[in-house]
Amino acid sequence: MHHFNDIYPFSAIVGQEQMKKALILNAINPRIGGVLIKGEKGTAKSTAARALAHLLPAREVVEGCIFGCDPADKKGLCLDCQKRQADLTTTTARMRVIELPISATEDKVVGSLDIEHALKKGEKKFEPGILAQAHRNILYVDEVNLLNDHIVDVLLDAAAMGMNFIEREGVSYVHPSAFILIGTMNPEEGELRPQLLDRFGLCVDIEGIHDANTRVEVIRRRQKYDDSPEEFIPTWESAEQELRDRIVRAQQLLSQVTVSDEMLRMIAQICIDMAVDGHRADITMMKTAATIAAYNGRNSVNDEDVRDAAALVLSHRMRRRPFSEQQMDRQKMEESIQKSQAGEHSHEGHHHHHH
Amino acid sequence: MKGTTTITIDNSLRRPRMHHFDDIYPFSAIVAQERMKKALILNAINPRIGGVLIKGEKGTAKSTAARALAHLLPSRLVVDGCIFGCNPADVKGMCVDCQKKYPDLISKSSKMRVVELPISATEDKVVGSLDLEHALKMGEKKFEPGILAKANRNILYVDEVNLLNDHIVDVLLDAAAMGMNFIEREGVSYVHPSAFILIGTMNPEEGDLRPQLLDRFGLCVDIEGIHDAETRVEVIRRRQNYEGTPEVFIGSWQSDEQDLRERIILAQDLLPKVTVSDEMVQMIAQICIDMAVDGHRADIVMMKTAATIAAFKGRTEVIEEDVREAAELVLSHRMRRQPFSEQQMDKDKMEQSIQKSQQEKKQPEQQEQNPENQKPKENTMPDGSTTTQFAEGQPFKVNQKPLATPRRIDSFKREGSGRRSVTESRDGKYVRSRIPETIGPDIALDATIRAAAPRQKNREGILAVKIEMSDLREKVRERRMGNTVLFVVDASGSMGAQQRMTAVKGAILSLLIDAYQKRDRVGLVIFRGKSAEVLLPPTSSVELARKYMQQLPVGGKTPLAHGLSKAFEVLQREKMINQHTIPRLILISDGKANVSMGSGSPMDDAKEVAAHIRDAGISSLVIDSEKGFIAFGLAQILSDELGAKYLKLEDLQADQIADVVKGIGM
Repeated sequence: MHHFNDIYPFSAIVGQEQMKKALILNAINPRIGGVLIKGEKGTAKSTAARALAHLLPAREVVEGCIFGCDPADKKGLCLDCQKRQADLTTTTARMRVIELPISATEDKVVGSLDIEHALKKGEKKFEPGILAQAHRNILYVDEVNLLNDHIVDVLLDAAAMGMNFIEREGVSYVHPSAFILIGTMNPEEGELRPQLLDRFGLCVDIEGIHDANTRVEVIRRRQKYDDSPEEFIPTWESAEQELRDRIVRAQQLLSQVTVSDEMLRMIAQICIDMAVDGHRADITMMKTAATIAAYNGRNSVNDEDVRDAAALVLSHRMRRRPFSEQQMDRQKMEESIQKSQAGEHSHEGHHHHHH
Repeated sequence: MKGTTTITIDNSLRRPRMHHFDDIYPFSAIVAQERMKKALILNAINPRIGGVLIKGEKGTAKSTAARALAHLLPSRLVVDGCIFGCNPADVKGMCVDCQKKYPDLISKSSKMRVVELPISATEDKVVGSLDLEHALKMGEKKFEPGILAKANRNILYVDEVNLLNDHIVDVLLDAAAMGMNFIEREGVSYVHPSAFILIGTMNPEEGDLRPQLLDRFGLCVDIEGIHDAETRVEVIRRRQNYEGTPEVFIGSWQSDEQDLRERIILAQDLLPKVTVSDEMVQMIAQICIDMAVDGHRADIVMMKTAATIAAFKGRTEVIEEDVREAAELVLSHRMRRQPFSEQQMDKDKMEQSIQKSQQEKKQPEQQEQNPENQKPKENTMPDGSTTTQFAEGQPFKVNQKPLATPRRIDSFKREGSGRRSVTESRDGKYVRSRIPETIGPDIALDATIRAAAPRQKNREGILAVKIEMSDLREKVRERRMGNTVLFVVDASGSMGAQQRMTAVKGAILSLLIDAYQKRDRVGLVIFRGKSAEVLLPPTSSVELARKYMQQLPVGGKTPLAHGLSKAFEVLQREKMINQHTIPRLILISDGKANVSMGSGSPMDDAKEVAAHIRDAGISSLVIDSEKGFIAFGLAQILSDELGAKYLKLEDLQADQIADVVKGIGM
C-alpha cells in the first residue's frame, strides 16, 4: 500500500461532481455494485479511483484471514474461517483498492496451484489470486474495455456469485469474492461487452472541463502536488477528514433509510419506460437512491434522490439506438415520474409497444 | 524421499458440501418467470427429462433460479460409500467398484445435488486425473475423480454456458452421449458412470451455443424482464428484504418452499402411474413432424415432459393441454434453425398439427406468409434530420464455390468446428497439458508434478518432489480465433433511394449468416451525416449484429473517409487485443463521398484511408450499391485503392457470386 500514501487527495479533484458522487456512494454502500467511469483521456479517471482508497471506511475483518472475512457474516466465511469459527479474533482494516492489470493472466486472477509448496512439501495448496484479494475490497480495472475476453468471463462469473470457484491445475477450491468493481475506460478505444457493462452498478460519463478558470485551477493544483506532494497532501487533510466523517455518518444512517411504495413504483415505472433489460437496474436504483438520501442526512427517499440515482444507474443500461448517444432522455424520465405520481398504470395503448 | 516425508491431504481443499447454497434466495420467492420455474421443477420431479437451458437478457434471475433449485431436489437411493453415488438397483450402470462388490452393497437415501462447473475449469479437473498425493505417498497411480464424477446422477450446472471453452464442451458432450466418462491420461486408465442433468444459463447477446450442446438440454426457456410496474415493484421489494436480513426473509418463505417440495414428492410418486394414450403419442409425433425437428429426441423428451406435467397437476393421464405445455418447453431450441429467425415456436402451426392428429386426416399445407410490411418507417432524429428505416431484404444463400483471392492471409489452420484454435502464444486459456516437443517457457507445473509423482520413490534429492526432464509438460492453451468481419455500411441519404437499403440489408444478412456458420466475429460501422460510428463493436453474437442492423437509419451526407477510418481503427484495435484474429472489411457503399475529413477532396481523403487499410494487410470486399444507367464507378475506384474484391449489389443477389467471404480470403 506504500504508493497509495502518496496519492492525490480525492477532495482536491476539481469538478467532475458526478464521478465523485458515484465513487462516494459506493464507499458508503458497497452493495451498489461499483462504477464504470467513461471518459476522454486525462480527465482524472484513474486519479479519482485510486484516491478513493483514502476515503474508504474501516470494517471488521477476521484477523489473519487472507480473504478478510467478515466475522459477523457466519455463512459468508471462507473455508478456513469456518473451521475455526469458535476462536476467530477480530480486527479492523480499511478497505483497499486492488488493481487488476489488463495484462494479468488467468491463473493470477483466479488463483492456482502453489507450485513452491507442491515442490517443497509434496502437498497441494491453493495459491490465492487477485479475486481472493479483492474480497470485500475494491477491484479496480484501468482500461477495462481492453481486458482479455477470457479474463472478463472469469470476472463475470465471480461477480455474479460473489464466489470464486476454482477447478484447475489439480486444485479444487472455493472462496468468497464479493468485490466492488471500479473500471475506467476511454470509449474511443472500444466498447464493453453488454454483460460486463450491466455488472457495474453505476456509470458516469465525464468530459474535460471547458471553463477556463476551472481549467486553470486544475493546472495549479496539479502543479503544487507535483512540486511537493508532502506539502500539498496535508493541506487537504481536513477536507478529506470531513468527507470521511460524512461517509461514516451516511453509513450509519443507511440502515434506517426507508423507500416508500410510491418511490418504488416510480423506480419501476422509469425502468419500464426506459426499456432496460432485466431487473438489475431497478434494484440498483433503489439502493442508490437510499444511499443518496443517507448521504444527504435524510432517512427517507424522495423523488429528487430517485432522479439523481436514475442518472447514475440508467445511462449504460439502455438499448442503444444508432447515432444516438447511449444517454438518458431526461424528458422521458420526467414523463414517467409524472405517470407514476398520477398513479397511472402502464397499460398503454397505441404509442408504446413493448415486446 | 524414500518414504520419509509424510504427506498430508489438506482437507480444506475439498469443496464444502453445498454450504454456500444454503444462504440462497428461495425458489418460491422468485417473482413471475413461471415458465422457467416450471421447467426447473419438472426436472426436479423427473430427472430423465434431461435438464434445461435458461436463455434470457441480463438481470432476470436466471442464475438465482438455477441455484435455488438445489433446495427442492429430491432424494434417491445410492450405494453407501460410492463416490459416484451409484444406483443400487442398476447393476449395468454401476461403477467398476460397485460391480465388483455386488450384491454386497449397502443402500442409503441421499439428496440430489447441484454440481457447478465454473467456466475457468481446466480439463484435468473436469475429467479427473492422477491423484497427486497418493502417487507421491505410495508411488502408485490412482484416479482422482473430477467434476464429471461428482455430477453422476446429479445436476451439472453451468452458468454462462455459451462462454464455456470449446474443448471442455467436447468433453461434456462425450460424457453426455455415453453416460460414461472414459479417462486415458497421465498413465491412468479409468471409466466411470457420468449421467447428469445439464442445467445452463446464457445471455444470447454473448454468443451462441453449439447445436449439439443445445440438443443435450431437455428443455429450453426464453425469459425476459417483467413489464408490469406493480410486479416490478414486488421484485425490488423482495430483493431489498432478502439483502436486508437474509435469515428472516428465507425463514418467511420456509413454508412455501416446504409446500413446493411436498408437491414435487407427490408428483414423483404419481409419475410411474401416469399413462400416455396412443392418441397423445400420435399427437406428439405429429407435432414433431410438422415442426421439422431433427431426430427423435424431441418426441421422447416431449412425452416424458407431458407425463411429468400431468403428475405435477395430480393427474394419472396425459391430456392435450399437457402436450401443449410440454411442446413449448421442448421444441423452441430444437427446430431446425434459420439463422436469425428468432428460434421460436409457431403456435398456430402447432395448433394445426394438434387438430391434424385429432382428425387423423391430412390437411393441405397452408403456406401462410406474413406479408412483410415493406413500407419504410420515418423517424425524426435528435438533430432534427429525418431518417428512414427500411425492411430487410430477403436473405439468400451465399454460394459455396471458392473464388480466387486477390490477397490471402491464411496463415493459420482451422480445427474442427473452426471456432477456436490451439495457439502457440501464452495468452490463451490454459485447458490441458501435453508432452512438449521442445522445452519452452510455458510449462504446466501441475501436470509436470503429476507426471513426476509416481516415480518419486526411486529418485534422490533435497526437494520433496524431484523433477526430471522427462516429466516436463507444457500448457495447451485455447483462445478464440478466426476472422473479425467488419461491415462498413453507407447509411447516407443516397442509399435511401429506390429501396436500396432494403437490398443492402438483405446482402448484409446473407453475409452475416455466412459469418454465423463460420463462427466469425462480426462488427458494424456505419457512416452518415458528418461522422461514422461503431454501431456494434466486434462480437461473436450475430444475433446482436442483426438487431442493430434492423434499426439502421438512413439519411444525410456521405462521410466515406470517416467510415473507413473508423473501421481501420476498430480492426487495428481488434488486432491489438487478439493478435490471432484475421481482420476483414466489407464496405457497402456507392462510393459517392461528399464529406472530407481534412483539407482534401472527399474522394481523395477516402482513397488515402483506403491505401492505409491496404498497407496494413487488411483484406477487403467492396459491394457497390450504385444503380441506374448513369454510373460513376466510384466504388470501383475505391475498391482498387483498397486492393479489394469488388462486387455489384445485383451480382450478389443474382447468386452469381461464390462464397464471397472466402473470396477475400476468409
